[in-house]
Amino acid sequence: MDALMLARVQFALTAGSHFLFVALTLGLATLVAFMQTRATVSGGAVSGGVVHARMVRFWGQLYVINYAVGIVTGLVMEFQFGVNWGGMSAVTGEVFGAPLAMETIAAFFVESTFLGLWIFGWDRLNRWVHLGLIWVVAVTAYLSAYFILVANGWLQRPVGFVLEDGRARLTDLGALLTNPTAVLAFWHVVFGGLLTAGVFVAAVSAYHLRRRTGEVEFFRRSMRVGLVALIVGAVVVPTPGGMQFAYVQPTKQGASEKGLAEQARFVAEFGPGDYLAPGGAKVGEVLMLVAWQLLMLVALAALVKVWSGRWLVRGRVFHVVLMLSVPLPYVAMLSGWVFREVGRQPWMVYGVLTTRDALSKVGPGWMAVSFTVFTVLMVVLLVVNVWLLARFARRGPEAVQLGAAPPVRPVEPVLTPSY
Amino acid sequence: MEMLAMAMLAVFTAGYLVLAGADIGVGMVLPVLGRGQGERRLVIAGIAPFFLGNEVWLVSAVGIVAGAFPGLEHRLLEGLFPVAGALVVAWVVRDMGLWLRGRVDARVWRAVWDGAVVAGSWGLALAWSSLLGTLLADAAGAGGSGFNVGSVAGLPLVVLFVLHGAGFARWRLSGEPLRRARRVPARYGVTAVVLVAVTVVAGLGVEWSRVQASPAGLAVTAVMTVVLLPLLLAAQGLVWWTFRGRVTAPTYL
Repeated sequence: MDALMLARVQFALTAGSHFLFVALTLGLATLVAFMQTRATVSGGAVSGGVVHARMVRFWGQLYVINYAVGIVTGLVMEFQFGVNWGGMSAVTGEVFGAPLAMETIAAFFVESTFLGLWIFGWDRLNRWVHLGLIWVVAVTAYLSAYFILVANGWLQRPVGFVLEDGRARLTDLGALLTNPTAVLAFWHVVFGGLLTAGVFVAAVSAYHLRRRTGEVEFFRRSMRVGLVALIVGAVVVPTPGGMQFAYVQPTKQGASEKGLAEQARFVAEFGPGDYLAPGGAKVGEVLMLVAWQLLMLVALAALVKVWSGRWLVRGRVFHVVLMLSVPLPYVAMLSGWVFREVGRQPWMVYGVLTTRDALSKVGPGWMAVSFTVFTVLMVVLLVVNVWLLARFARRGPEAVQLGAAPPVRPVEPVLTPSY
Repeated sequence: MEMLAMAMLAVFTAGYLVLAGADIGVGMVLPVLGRGQGERRLVIAGIAPFFLGNEVWLVSAVGIVAGAFPGLEHRLLEGLFPVAGALVVAWVVRDMGLWLRGRVDARVWRAVWDGAVVAGSWGLALAWSSLLGTLLADAAGAGGSGFNVGSVAGLPLVVLFVLHGAGFARWRLSGEPLRRARRVPARYGVTAVVLVAVTVVAGLGVEWSRVQASPAGLAVTAVMTVVLLPLLLAAQGLVWWTFRGRVTAPTYL
């Protein structure tokens, strides 16, 4: 593989694994925030809200396990912008960098700091303050997704800049922030995340109800939360997704009439070459639609069942269907993303900078070393965390460690003789 | 405006080194401060509530670089690729260790992830020392766009991280680990000032005019950062206020 392909595959693997975890993080943070609101309003663990408080801790811990991988893969991704794609920061760094700066300072900083307070301040903070923390975490998570999609939307449809001496200068921040390819993608991801979390929560609940693990009320309530999210997500997600087709690049659709016209324009402007999207984009589009259609069928069944608690507890076939549905949102997410990103090739910034020109001048040897090291690291990270998620999901609410009173074991006495 | 952006970058970089430098330092001396696994968990509990809110300062500093000084990314990441790569690997390994160590109650599991915390902390401190050393040598006139004499000569700066961590441990720990931390003649305030000074001097080695964005791009990042800084400081203050005092019991990690 040449350096370009190595760098592209490395980015695809990192961003792909990042996206898998972020999708669940976004949706699950929202569901946990709603659960904690319910728990807090009904008096917390002290009075009536025992089951709700337990739900917050159980789903909250799965969220936290998931979040940690999101952060770490995000770091590796940010690092790759600088190392592997130096040509991009040289030509378009200023415009592309602005939303990234906003994401880190206006969103991620607050999100991460408040999440730390939420995790470790469980018994120390007033319960209304503690509730406020998770809402701040959820809102800043969405803000973070928005800024990232502003950066990505600009790669799809560059606006608000001028090229001067081969460098892009930011001229219109408003155009950048209201770019339809960013705003529509944001709403698409919001409901995609909700759908992912809905399927996840419903499927884990289905597992426990089917196995009759004894936590019937806990998982009946959880299943209902999951199914509502699943239905809302599945029904709304295609709207902002489909609206994006109005802004899709002509070359993304392959050799259509418009695509060929665009191809001719690029050849005239940038020299000979193949400017039509590779076939992988079409595969992504089809897979995404198939996965969504299957999810729509699940959502229809859910719409029938969600009203009756008895049906939720007993429908054993439905339980199996839900458990089998867990991969579907991920398939839809990843293939939709392949459609979007592979469909932009051979451009890094559409019509401005090709992916080849965006590559760093780092030697291919170093590129291979970095590829190997980070791929191994990502795989270990993914395997360990998926295993942990499954383990804690399976063990149920009794095994939760988050927000639990610290285990009573002989902690070292504060004063010990020093001889 | 470029002065403002430079000041903001200095605040976030120095903020990271002072705040995260302490939890990195504690991670480096984890096996010394905590002898058994119970003690080590207590030492980790000392930094647990802070490390998330500390590492975001670096993420934000990188964000400021991306928005206001896009050329600097190239100088630091492409020119010093192996060091930057080692830094990220160490960061990932360390974070994994912190997040995972408490999840499974088995001796081997804890030992492996404690090892990851220690190795990752050393890796981070060494990478930072090399990076700062390179920039300090730049400031002293070594120049160039890749490694220089400072990349190696800066490595002893790791001692700063160890001392800073020990200084922090004096505030947070209790019992035996505290007694061991007290053997190190470290003061958090002193090492904090040194770290800030190192950051500022290292910044003198960068040719800022060559790496900065155009005035419009620079202004967007600089103004937003200045406006939000009080909020971010308040969030950090809330963390310190909430987790003031010594730890006597393990936490989630």
